[in-house]
Amino acid sequence: MSAKYVPPANFAPVEQHLYRSAAPRPINFPFLKLLDIKTIIWLNVEDPSDELLDFIDAHDINLEHLGLLTKKVKPWDPISDKVVQEALTILMNIQIYPVLICCSMGRHRTGAVIGCLRKLQGWSFASLVDEYQRFTGIAGERSNVELLVENFSLVPLKQLLKIKANSNEPVPQWFDLHSDLE
Amino acid sequence: MLVPPVNFALVVGQLYRSGHPINLNYQFLETLNLKTVIYVGENCPETISAEYKVWLEKQGINYIHFPSPSVSEPFTETDVGTVTEVLKLIIDERNYPILMHSNKGKHRVGVIVAVVRKCLQQWCLTPLYEEYIRYAKGKADSDFLFIEHYEFEDRDVVVEHFPRWVMR
Repeated sequence: MSAKYVPPANFAPVEQHLYRSAAPRPINFPFLKLLDIKTIIWLNVEDPSDELLDFIDAHDINLEHLGLLTKKVKPWDPISDKVVQEALTILMNIQIYPVLICCSMGRHRTGAVIGCLRKLQGWSFASLVDEYQRFTGIAGERSNVELLVENFSLVPLKQLLKIKANSNEPVPQWFDLHSDLE
Repeated sequence: MLVPPVNFALVVGQLYRSGHPINLNYQFLETLNLKTVIYVGENCPETISAEYKVWLEKQGINYIHFPSPSVSEPFTETDVGTVTEVLKLIIDERNYPILMHSNKGKHRVGVIVAVVRKCLQQWCLTPLYEEYIRYAKGKADSDFLFIEHYEFEDRDVVVEHFPRWVMR
């Protein structure tokens, strides 16, 4: 019997080659190697641990540190629309997969990005809230995350998808299942 | 608007899990191009609704029903043979994409996903229990015991048709 694998806390596949989780620890590294992660989208304001940074270097992983995208942000400030938008824009690039999206616990920041991705995919609000709440643990959901997703404007991202479609630039096929590109 | 079935999620590769689909979910499910639907639920095959049957046929989906009682009833146990039959379908890439559902997508499907994680992906028990609880919303009954003790026997499986993610 081979060694057992330990996925990071709150790990789950979201779509083909797109994964979500809490911040990976050294015990999770063999599992991450198995997934052949090429990009980590980091949503925390704080930097990844030194161990994770070493792992990222050693495996030539592309780190997208979005926590510091907004100036003067405090570690406890909730995720902003700007960060979500940037994360979803990065995800449109098929070259960067497999991708892991994470924050410290894999609950709220990650949940906000995945919630907005589901909205872009045309999911009903009830369905995406249900998915978000599955990952929030006993402390429960935060209404500010749900409000962010509910009020998140898809217009700029749909415009971007339209531009990409017009110039025959491929995006992951699951990206835009239903949203009519009017 | 797309409405995935209750407790819908991607498990691994092109294996999906959910609760029982209803009318509202068909448009979403059609985006997955399903080849096989596995239902682990109620004992009598007549419980399948006429409209669901019509939809499955229209989609050309291979529908396989494993009658399986709810183990939340006293004196019922998860049937080892049924779980093994489901895993044999999952371990054959010719059946993909697969949707596996029970009624609520919590316990019966949760057990199958947990043994996939344990026997086919070599996960530790702790993270797969965590995943089970995420869908079951706290209630596990005797399922953890079953998951811990279940072993998938290799007999009759065709290695050439393993999906790429299977670790044996």
